[in-house]
Amino acid sequence: MDVAFIIETIVKIVVILLIFSALAGLGTYFERKVLAFMQRRLGPMHVGPFGLLQIAADGIKLFTKEDIIPQNVVKPIFKIAPVITAATAFMASAAIPFWPQFTAFGYTVHPIVADINVGILYVLGVMAIGLYGPLLGGMASANKWSLISAARSAAIFISYEVITGLSLLAPLMMVGSLSLIDINNYQAGGIENWIVWSQPVAFILFWIAAFAETGRTPFHLVANDHEIIDGFGTEYSGMRWGLFFIGEYANMFFISFVIAIIFLGGFGDGTLAGAIQLILKVAFFFFFFLWTRAAWPDIRPDQLMWLCWKVLMPIAVINVVVTGIVMMF
Amino acid sequence: MFEAIAFYLFAALTVVMFTITVVTSQALYAITAMAAGMIFISAFFFILGADFLGAIQIIVYTGAVMALYAFGMMFFDTTRKVVEKRVNPQIVFVLGVLAAILVVAIFVAPIVSNNIHALYPVQEGVGNSQAIGMVLFTKYLVPFELAAVMLLVAMIAGIVLAGKKMDKSLTLMTEEDIAKAHPQHESHHSAGGHH
Amino acid sequence: MHHEEVFTNRNVTESSAYYYVDIESYPTTGWDKFKQVVRRTFSGELFIGLWVVMREMIKFDIHTVQYPKEKLPLGPRYRAVHKLLRLWESGYERCIGCGLCEKICISDCIRMDTRIDENSRKEVTEYSINLGRCIFCGYCAEVCPELAIVHGPRYENASEQRAHFVIKDDMLTPLDLLKAGAQEEYPGFGAIIPGSDDAVKKTPLAY
Repeated sequence: MDVAFIIETIVKIVVILLIFSALAGLGTYFERKVLAFMQRRLGPMHVGPFGLLQIAADGIKLFTKEDIIPQNVVKPIFKIAPVITAATAFMASAAIPFWPQFTAFGYTVHPIVADINVGILYVLGVMAIGLYGPLLGGMASANKWSLISAARSAAIFISYEVITGLSLLAPLMMVGSLSLIDINNYQAGGIENWIVWSQPVAFILFWIAAFAETGRTPFHLVANDHEIIDGFGTEYSGMRWGLFFIGEYANMFFISFVIAIIFLGGFGDGTLAGAIQLILKVAFFFFFFLWTRAAWPDIRPDQLMWLCWKVLMPIAVINVVVTGIVMMF
Repeated sequence: MFEAIAFYLFAALTVVMFTITVVTSQALYAITAMAAGMIFISAFFFILGADFLGAIQIIVYTGAVMALYAFGMMFFDTTRKVVEKRVNPQIVFVLGVLAAILVVAIFVAPIVSNNIHALYPVQEGVGNSQAIGMVLFTKYLVPFELAAVMLLVAMIAGIVLAGKKMDKSLTLMTEEDIAKAHPQHESHHSAGGHH
Repeated sequence: MHHEEVFTNRNVTESSAYYYVDIESYPTTGWDKFKQVVRRTFSGELFIGLWVVMREMIKFDIHTVQYPKEKLPLGPRYRAVHKLLRLWESGYERCIGCGLCEKICISDCIRMDTRIDENSRKEVTEYSINLGRCIFCGYCAEVCPELAIVHGPRYENASEQRAHFVIKDDMLTPLDLLKAGAQEEYPGFGAIIPGSDDAVKKTPLAY
């Protein structure tokens, strides 16, 4: 392990942190604009041209706001919970290849922090730990809405991890590797090689589960405003609340990357065109998160559990079995 | 060198975390420290090059098992401290120390006698998960299948125990049906009426 | 853009526009439930929803009023902060100090002081409305026999103190504006409705 490798890794980490923190802020801007346009509104307009500087204004507001720690909360846990959400979201990005490898100034760069050979397992596992942000934040808050939100987040995360795992099992059986780069190279031949054509059921299941894992609108029960105020975020203010937000948006970006890489061919053969395609795919999945938020209603928690255990899980298991039988013969 | 630094760092963190789990009287500290300890344990797997086991450690223990503990935690008032009733602290202390010594002895014995060596050395060109699959489905096939059957039995038993009256909905039943299905309710009310 | 709706007959009849929504009963058997789930899953309603919002985004038919830059027109009977009017010819205040508004005010927010001045006219020395309590019901304007107090269209009430809007001098039309003809005879709340003379029936004397 030489010094150059360590420096390179640290640079990569810093770049990913900066890019995706900024993207999280930009994501809030896009979300507000897209939702506004779909609801015949204009969205933020007054700060900067077309309201672009609203992100900066929000950032300044969040950073300078008083950090309120309510009286009856369990203080250390309350303070650390938002950090867990943001940290796990960014930790998950360590095994995601964001871009094909390229050569700059005679130096080959692999835009992945750690190419471990169980990449997808690591990404899903660390995203699963993101559960502890809402869970601990909600339980430490001494607030009934927060507690309900914590219970819901625990239930949703545990249930939908089963769906993500089982739905991914079938494509992984075909690829025979857990590394995201191997999965990408498996589909390098072109559009007809994309796994989505051979595993459409797994693709839809994983996509549905992605909504639950990121807590986006059809499954936005963890912080459903009209039922439980802001859920686990009710007692938070300032940048601690902002960290929850950054974590949520970073998670949306990373899960979009994962879907695009596993099912839609990723960056293909690694040319520039493939890389731009990857960005477009990720942009589509991110846009879809916003799109559904404008179009679809939230469902009840019991319906969510029903959907998970009585519909999605049997389908996922059948999909795995069918894939196995087809692969054997 | 980096591996040594990482090992001692995570070893210290793990020990500290599990100490907090045992010592603290605040339930929320205990569960947080335990979850953190489970994650730090996965670091050892990564240091040893067992990526698959490390990821599984995170998913299974931190993601699933600890979240189930968290469900149990919902019954506590986490803002209060748990008051423990210690009848005889000396016995607890002595037994605890004895148990610790026993565990250390069990784990140290093979190291002291130089009896420990890798049965399945790392094979070149074979991924981590493949290596585990080979071992699981050849040498340890019977224990693996037995564990699977046991889990299946446990799952079915859990569903049967929890799902006894799941097809009945009190909101959809009439008063008479409820009274018929729950006769103890009726007797309870009439008993209350006599007082 | 004043829109008048004709409410001549509000009774719900067979011929009216009301109709019962056709809600199917909940399925009870497992097979019926399964059929319902399958039907709902593949009916594509979710995609209709997606298409509707996407269509609105593409049409870009924005309905936002960018408030400080553009403002919505107010209806003539809009009830915002009160105004005290003057007589056109003499410039005297219309208020005769009868105290009816003070009496009728259901939130007790009007307060006035009067005295008999040197011309033996009743003069209003103090007149204030506590806007923190006022519910803008319009009773004061309605009860005023002289059309002296009316509701104006001023709804932007930013100031350092709430009391700034409610002193008599602020509500009363200034004399110079009156001479310039700037006082508007108010067609709004409290004013006589056009054609109200026709609506007046003679008091029957037969009984």
